Amino acid sequence: MASEVETRPQLDRWGRDPSVITSLGIVEAAYRSWFRVEWDGLEHLPSEGGALLVSNHAGMMPLDGALIQIGIQEHARRPVYMLAHHGFFLFPFLGRVLNRSGTVVAHPDNAHRLLREDGRLVLVFPEGDKGPVKPRSERYRLQRFGRGGFVETAMRAGVPIVPIALMGTEDTTPTLGVINLIGQPYPISLNTLLFGPILGALAHFPAKVRARVLPPVHFDEEPELPSYPRSVLMDRAETIRGDLQSALDEMYAARESVWFG
Amino acid sequence: MSRVAVTGGRNPLARRVVQLLRESPGVEWVRGVEARASGKQRSDGELDVVSYVPDHRPFAAYLEKEGIDTLVQCDLAPDRTGRAVTGRDADVIGTMCLGAAIGHGDSPVRSWVLASSSAVYPIGSRQSLIRSEAEELSIEAGTLAASIAEAEDYARDVALRQPHVNVAILRLQQLAGEQLRGSLASLLARELVPSPIGFDPLIQLLHGDDAASALAFAVRNELAGIYNVASAGWVHWHDAVLATGHTAFPVLPLSAALLEPVLDRLPIPVPLAPAELLDLLRFGHAIDTGKLERTGWESRRDQLDCLAALRSDAS
Repeated sequence: MASEVETRPQLDRWGRDPSVITSLGIVEAAYRSWFRVEWDGLEHLPSEGGALLVSNHAGMMPLDGALIQIGIQEHARRPVYMLAHHGFFLFPFLGRVLNRSGTVVAHPDNAHRLLREDGRLVLVFPEGDKGPVKPRSERYRLQRFGRGGFVETAMRAGVPIVPIALMGTEDTTPTLGVINLIGQPYPISLNTLLFGPILGALAHFPAKVRARVLPPVHFDEEPELPSYPRSVLMDRAETIRGDLQSALDEMYAARESVWFG
Repeated sequence: MSRVAVTGGRNPLARRVVQLLRESPGVEWVRGVEARASGKQRSDGELDVVSYVPDHRPFAAYLEKEGIDTLVQCDLAPDRTGRAVTGRDADVIGTMCLGAAIGHGDSPVRSWVLASSSAVYPIGSRQSLIRSEAEELSIEAGTLAASIAEAEDYARDVALRQPHVNVAILRLQQLAGEQLRGSLASLLARELVPSPIGFDPLIQLLHGDDAASALAFAVRNELAGIYNVASAGWVHWHDAVLATGHTAFPVLPLSAALLEPVLDRLPIPVPLAPAELLDLLRFGHAIDTGKLERTGWESRRDQLDCLAALRSDAS
């Protein structure tokens, strides 16, 4: 009887459907025609095995993550799983769409299984919710990388960290101010003022986006340890943040136009 | 050769465990045991009725008299006995009394196997999707999960204080299978299956055959520690509904806990998700069975086997 049952074999246990990213025509069209994303350093991406990708972050919606997912899927032929705030998954349909596109609740155990058991590329934004509330004057200035938890996740899984510098994404929704919404900081962007709270969260200005993949950072520490020295984690986190900041500074200095790159 | 008593002897899971152990070469004697708060000890051929709540001493005397060296507790979690029960606390007092009986005087018991529940893992948007035995549980007081954790604590306490007793805690996933349906399986067995709008979570079931085989395996191999038990694989909710041949009925993803006592009395079944299952139906939940598999146990059923047993045309 079991063989009579039809299921969707393309769904993995995280709910990702490989056809979704490419079938979301509007996102792919935005990738190609609106943001005109260009990549360099793709040779630094591992061709197999797990790796934790870290990048700079802006905007209420994780559009920067979707651009990285599409680009790496297209160029490296590897799916990217993105870790996102649990709050997104409270909403009907939104959480489901995010799951289908390979987005998973940001939890250390989820990350560990994806990296170590499944050998996947996993994307995380270590600035967390401090990224989207950065004022325009602070764009491309990386905020604190949490408590170094992302380094611990990579060490425990025994995988490298691959930093990715994104130029252009922090100009797509310029933050003008921050308000307190039910105890949470909520950025008021130019897009919100022009298009309202819902459309403003979705509508992004067509800044030219460039992505640079930096060399992977490997760790000598033994994987699967219950804990790692906090000082080591913070040191590594700061080194990675410094490297990513240098790349952003260089890309920012080389950029001639927000719209044309 | 082991002499085994299986508590909860009248429930479907316990009956299967007794049957399986009876066929096991290393088991000399096995009986189902049903507890009663009052009444005399009696035996009706297949089942012994012995009181152990609130006084554990009659049960301690029974263990000693029959020379029972292995106790399997199949009545800890009502939803993991093969009966469709939601919202019932684990039998904390019963577990405490069994622990006391095991520790009483010259108890011959050397192995205690508990059929616990994966409901001990809290489910929510902040939780990881796949749960392992090693994780530290952060449980809200007054919940079903809290009562299961409390009962498990009593068992762990026996393991600590009486190191000569092997204590194995098997956290059983949602039960499904022929004549053995837990709360989730009962929901899936409805013609109209309540499905919160906009969600399609990962779920996981445990076939009754696998549940019984894991408990029997724990007895035969004198396992100690905590182990997750589920049938092979996982399935997404809408696939699961499809596999049963039933129809998903969209419901608002809201708890109707306060209305449930009234709705349950209506002459027609109301397609609402039980409050206890709502988080599962929104955020999903699966358990990692790797630890038990590394001891040599293997599931013989998969998720589709579990679901096939819930089809309307299944016997």
